Amino acid sequence: MNDMGVAAAATLDYDAELMLRVKEGDGTSFGVLLEKHRASVIYFVYRLVQEQAVAEELAQEVFLRVYRSRSSYEPTAKFKTWLFRIATHLALNWLRDEKHERGQERLDDVSADLPAREVADQRPSVEQRLVHQVKLDEVRRAVAALPDKQRAAVLMHKYEEMEYTQIAKVLGCSESAVKSLLFRAYETLRARLAHMGTT
Amino acid sequence: MTCPTENHNPEMLVGYAAGELDPETSMALERHLSGCSACRSMVAEQTAVWRALDAWEGPPVSSDFNRRLYRRIEAGERLSWWARLTMSFHPIPLRRALPLTATAGLLLMASLLLQHPNRLAPPAPRGEIVRAEQVERTLDDLDLLRQFATANAAESTHSDAM
Repeated sequence: MNDMGVAAAATLDYDAELMLRVKEGDGTSFGVLLEKHRASVIYFVYRLVQEQAVAEELAQEVFLRVYRSRSSYEPTAKFKTWLFRIATHLALNWLRDEKHERGQERLDDVSADLPAREVADQRPSVEQRLVHQVKLDEVRRAVAALPDKQRAAVLMHKYEEMEYTQIAKVLGCSESAVKSLLFRAYETLRARLAHMGTT
Repeated sequence: MTCPTENHNPEMLVGYAAGELDPETSMALERHLSGCSACRSMVAEQTAVWRALDAWEGPPVSSDFNRRLYRRIEAGERLSWWARLTMSFHPIPLRRALPLTATAGLLLMASLLLQHPNRLAPPAPRGEIVRAEQVERTLDDLDLLRQFATANAAESTHSDAM
């Protein structure tokens, strides 16, 4: 690794430094990055597309692209910002193509892809589980109904705890545009979900 | 503190519900909330949204995720330089490539038309010209017949007189 690369990475984050090592041919560092970010990328894409199999497939593509572009990698931003930019790009493209193919039917079918562990069983807590399931479906539908960019912004803000500047870099817009996206998104979510705090 | 609702600063309330504000700002906002029902209501709603979103966990990750990924990476490493080059064109699905191709074709035709407007001009109406010639010829024939008839009539009158 050259000195300039090390200095640039040091001012950014440890992940960028790891990625520079991957660039130098260190496969172990790629494994470390994969272990660290795998779950968050899969969860992020899953909450965007709301299909588990698709989410894993897209997440694979994300890490594949990270690996393939290692030789041209430059630590100009935080590694996570770059990673989520790739993930968002792939997921939004998939959503666009999917909407084109199937219209909005997915929004009415989000409960069809629930993990098996969430199916209600015959134990005494069945009622609580069902109530929880109904609420969860409501949350999923409310998030799915948001416009794509608003949804991506909310997911990065809420679940990844990313700053406005990072989200702006991922979405390729200004920080004020991100604030506007988030404000409109949360306004919609408050209208649809605020009652859940009182029930 | 100025009222975030009146001052169009909702991100402060969103930040408070998310626990993002520094302790000093949080305390100042809490003092404001005790006397502002509009902000209090919005914070309560935003907190409810935050809790609702908390309940949505990610799915379990497949145990063979890494294995599948490394297999794809190895497969990619074994590809020839030509396959890697052409692979960069694969991401455009056919359904997106078709409209692009159609548009390119239309543009090509339009540029050809602009450069050579006569090449694709409609053919001359030959049928109508033929019909006009026929009409002309027929009129000539009728004229000859009329002259012939007049000459005949004059001849018969002359012979009767004789």
